[in-house]
Amino acid sequence: MKIIVCLKQVPHQDVRLDILSDGSWIQEENIKFEINSYDTYALEEALRIKDAGDAEVVVVSVGPDRVTQALRTALGMGADRAIHVKDAETDGSDVLGLAKILAAVVKSESPDFVFMGLMSDDGNFAAIPPMVAQLADLAHTTAAVKMERSNGTVTVDREIEGGAHEVVELRSPCLVAIQTGINQVRYASLKGIMAAKKKPFDVKSVADLGLSGQVGEAASQVKIHKVAPPPKGDRAEILKGSTQEIVERLVGKIKELGLL
Amino acid sequence: MGSILIVAEIQNGGIREASYEVATFANRLAEATGRSVKSLIAGRDIGALAEEFAKRGGGEVFAADHELLENYSSDAFHIALEAAVEAAEAEIVLFSNTPSGWDMAPRLAAALDAGFISDCFSIDVEDGVIVYHRRIFNGKLDARLTITGERAVITVQPGATAAFDGTTDGSVRKLDLKLSADDLRTRFVEIKAAESKGVDLSKADIIVSGGRGVGTPEKFPEVIQPLAEALGGAMGASRPVVDAGWLPHAYQVGSSGQVVQPKLYIACGISGAIQHLVGMKTSNFIIAINKDPDAPIFEVADLGVVADLFEVVPALTSAVQKAKS
Repeated sequence: MKIIVCLKQVPHQDVRLDILSDGSWIQEENIKFEINSYDTYALEEALRIKDAGDAEVVVVSVGPDRVTQALRTALGMGADRAIHVKDAETDGSDVLGLAKILAAVVKSESPDFVFMGLMSDDGNFAAIPPMVAQLADLAHTTAAVKMERSNGTVTVDREIEGGAHEVVELRSPCLVAIQTGINQVRYASLKGIMAAKKKPFDVKSVADLGLSGQVGEAASQVKIHKVAPPPKGDRAEILKGSTQEIVERLVGKIKELGLL
Repeated sequence: MGSILIVAEIQNGGIREASYEVATFANRLAEATGRSVKSLIAGRDIGALAEEFAKRGGGEVFAADHELLENYSSDAFHIALEAAVEAAEAEIVLFSNTPSGWDMAPRLAAALDAGFISDCFSIDVEDGVIVYHRRIFNGKLDARLTITGERAVITVQPGATAAFDGTTDGSVRKLDLKLSADDLRTRFVEIKAAESKGVDLSKADIIVSGGRGVGTPEKFPEVIQPLAEALGGAMGASRPVVDAGWLPHAYQVGSSGQVVQPKLYIACGISGAIQHLVGMKTSNFIIAINKDPDAPIFEVADLGVVADLFEVVPALTSAVQKAKS
């Protein structure tokens, strides 16, 4: 069995986000990156299937040099092989452009399953999994919080509102977009990190995938007009002063609400 | 000029409130751009619902009535969507960003080679250009986007606008689909109701919730729980805390956990991702304690404290205990 896991490397959740002067995106030079949280759960789900039997786990990512680190981490956690689509021609792709790149890799690998995170922590689009499924002609579902495989099918609990689950059955091959919390994600062991250095690591260009001229900024239909901090209009009154003064104000307020 | 197609949803035998919100966006956009409003309703025995929606914002409604559309499944609904887009000559397709909406909209965008933007909270026409507003980085930043292609597929945030309350001259057209279970790779099995595990936050007057900023699981009984107890309230948590296994799902406040409306909600170390805010923003009074002055939680809070929660929360707990004694 072959499982492809698509990973995105995103700015670390705790970094300060500075907006570029032209408002086009955030400043990404010299900030800390990490694997998108949702994607770590997708990788863990694939590794658990590998641990339980016979599966090859292939991790795929699109992006500049720094993405090598994310793929190496995934190999250190137990993935078998990495594919890095590294090409300046991918810069400025919208979600559909990225989906075209990932779908081309998926088609060339003919996997049994494709797992990826439900959304990314930066763009929050939640677009790429269903798009890749469409372009690679796979069945799909999203927000998976439980998965059970049987012969030729997989039964998925997808999270809907208020903690309820919708159970859906998919014929494989298929693509499943994973929700956070489906499992507890492992860390890469030192031994795993050492072993990762010897694992196959392919670098591909846009031309290798037959997508020249179809992705990147020029082909992108979605344009970021402006990124800005949210309006500060009706934000909370921020209490100033020493901890003691702040606590006194809070207690006063709780009393005023009739709750103390 | 082509149309704006609303993809309406059925929930518990009626049209979802969120679909009427999409109708508000659609009718506003139609007026500003000179397009017509059309809709798709897919389901089983939906004639009456289609008639109702046609008169309440849906315009010309395409009714896809089929036993295989009784419940949502991606393959069957995708076939209905493609047929409706063609029949309606749709240029802009609007969904609500619900669990079915976010599941089917991107797939349709890929099939149409259309520009796609999700979870918009407002859509404006500025100098003849449609500008879509949404949040990025889990609510920390705002983005304004435009689409240059001929077709757009958009999802809008539930609750971002009021439900359409006017009347429209609608009509219903049957959308004939050839669906066969053998051709569908996805099949709806069942809905499982949320499991309740004894933590009912909906009855608490005061909820003290902790987020990722609490740092480690043991800090919940050490720091968060004592404040909740001192106030006679209940303890809650944000999604990352539950995902990490620090507390069971029963404590989760948010769109995928419990939606609460206490008299007082105290958020400690919670940045305020949209899915959390949806679950608590209608609380009567909100106090937020967070180190990051830009955290989105301060947008819904009434009072904010920008500080280390490990200094403020224990001090507040002692002060509350003292005030009570």
